Amino acid sequence: MLISLLQAIASGVVTGCAYALVALSLVMIYKSTDVINFGGGEMVMIGGYLAMFALLAIGLPYAGAFVFAAVVAFMVGAAFDRVVLDRMLGRALPGQSVLVAMVIATVGLSYVLKGLVRVVPYTEEVRRLAPLFAGDPVFLGPIILQRQDIAIVVIAVLLMRAWWAFFNFTLLGKALRATSQNPRAAALIGIPVRAMRMTIWGIAAIFAAMAGILLGPKLLMTPDMGSVVILAFAAAIVGGFHNLPGCILGGVVLGVVQNLVGLYISSRAIVLTPFVVIMLVLVLRPQGLFGGAVVTKKV
Amino acid sequence: MLATLIRTLLLGAGAALALGALPVRAADPGVTDTEIVIGLHAPLSGPLAAFGIDPLNAAKMWYEEVNKKGGIHGRKIRLIVEDDKCNPNEAVLVVKRLATVHNVFMINGGSCTPAVIATQEFISREKIPFAMLNAAGDNGVFPPIRYMFGAFGGTQRADGAVLVEFAFNALKARRMAFIVHDDEYGNAKWATSKAVAERLGAEAVAVERISPRVTDVTTPMLNIRAARPDVIISAAYPQPAVLIAQKYGEFKMTAIPMVQAVQGIPVPDIFQKNVGNDAVFSNFYYGSPLNDMFNGPRQQKWVQMYKQYYPDRTPGAWMAFGLPPAMAVTRALEKAGRNLTREAFVEAMETLDFESEVFAGKIQFAKGRRDGMRSAIVIRFDGKKHTVMPGAYAWNGRDGM
Repeated sequence: MLISLLQAIASGVVTGCAYALVALSLVMIYKSTDVINFGGGEMVMIGGYLAMFALLAIGLPYAGAFVFAAVVAFMVGAAFDRVVLDRMLGRALPGQSVLVAMVIATVGLSYVLKGLVRVVPYTEEVRRLAPLFAGDPVFLGPIILQRQDIAIVVIAVLLMRAWWAFFNFTLLGKALRATSQNPRAAALIGIPVRAMRMTIWGIAAIFAAMAGILLGPKLLMTPDMGSVVILAFAAAIVGGFHNLPGCILGGVVLGVVQNLVGLYISSRAIVLTPFVVIMLVLVLRPQGLFGGAVVTKKV
Repeated sequence: MLATLIRTLLLGAGAALALGALPVRAADPGVTDTEIVIGLHAPLSGPLAAFGIDPLNAAKMWYEEVNKKGGIHGRKIRLIVEDDKCNPNEAVLVVKRLATVHNVFMINGGSCTPAVIATQEFISREKIPFAMLNAAGDNGVFPPIRYMFGAFGGTQRADGAVLVEFAFNALKARRMAFIVHDDEYGNAKWATSKAVAERLGAEAVAVERISPRVTDVTTPMLNIRAARPDVIISAAYPQPAVLIAQKYGEFKMTAIPMVQAVQGIPVPDIFQKNVGNDAVFSNFYYGSPLNDMFNGPRQQKWVQMYKQYYPDRTPGAWMAFGLPPAMAVTRALEKAGRNLTREAFVEAMETLDFESEVFAGKIQFAKGRRDGMRSAIVIRFDGKKHTVMPGAYAWNGRDGM
């Protein structure tokens, strides 16, 4: 029984890190633009399919597939901001908030991406993206983990660290934070606010695409794999939507709780767990388990 | 003179009315002197398109063959094809469009049970004959509904019963573990599997009900491992079926035979590639309602015909599933005669009893029976070779009801 418990926890950590990778992309956009991106799951999905296309149709090596997917994903994210969101902002009357409309636009983005990918031949069957790290499983005592699983955990932590460093130590990161906190003041000191918004959408799309490439071998590829975004939202809410390390930990907590529920309550309850967790966190600790005290963000 | 004239006029009018009455008789929609319009629908896009494209193509091919031979009672079959994406809402819209915009005579469609079930109310209300394509459609045929015929490849009940019979008789399994989805499909499969296991005296030592959208099957497989079964019977859809097979290999459970329902392994070669671990296939079986392996000699007639019609497309294992429904429709059209009505067609469908040369058992309907076929074979797949296991298994029509 102890072995099963340890295995369930280990697998939960891996699955949770997968959720967290998607959550990183969502939190990134939310922190910078206040928009909740309901198209985040489909950005993950197209990342996986772009890599599959690069590997199978173009014949690129995996490194090339990463670059290809990253470039195209950046273009998709940036284009969505420039063509849709930027125009919505530009047409808003003074003092009028278009935030709700922008969020709804992201729902539209999810449908457009899902519709577009369905015309690709690879989507007729459930397919598995070739694992980045293949080979025999790794045994940690009685616990069995795939190499790809370990890669997901390591890359999730590295991405989180990289993003934290980017936000805190680079000029672009600081400019993005300034744009997020007070766009008018940012513009007054010479920060190109529109370009910053476009950049953040592009970078978030890259992160989502990277998540898709890592998840493709684990969750398998279908046009509906974007539904993982619900679990990513749960991870972000558990960890705190403003807290990047928190969303990683939130993902891990969620993954482990799901598995414990499956082990000790019922397999049928696994799928309900994220929603119960979301409700509990929103009621009991709205800022998330790892979020700080609630503060007014805008100045 | 006047009386003669009046009599002549009346006789003439009577004769004209009598003669005119024949063509004036109101025919059912979709039937003219020269054609019968049939609506075809299936998932032609999206993640479940593999279930629909080839069976629909196969049905089209059969209707085309019939047309080449002169049609039915002098009428050619004209097809209207729609994509339902296996989505219940989409399927209802498609069926309504076929019936009200295209005025089809009958509908031959549906590859997914929930999508077919969603159309049931409209079909019954409008009294449109409906023959499912390759949907199992348990809730569409139990209890029987006058206008809906289906389960040409067997219901979930039949499929579940066959796998348990096989595990009990061929694998000598007495402690069985089941993985089924927590939807209508899973409910139907589990109801019969449980009943057959109880009748045979086998024990269900683990029953894992999982969501079709599950992203991690670690705990269901841990629960099964802890239950120490003699066999694992999985009725999962393609994506969860791969995740289950991966964990089965990862947790070194391959000493326990795994029997997978055909729904989870639409294309065995792609399934194997997705699993990515050949050790999984050391003790692996899957059920099939076909009368042979997809690439076996008894299926070649259909495969070759398909290649002639669709030279650019390699047929998947689901292809042949589209043939028996179309065969049933054309046989019933023949039986219903030249004076074709929807009611006459339904009555003709109820009398069908024929070997399709596609499936493991006969296609049979009756007044109180709307599920077409109840037999299946089991195939062993070792990762390279598919071997048909001896014997065909059949559901008795009572277990799980």
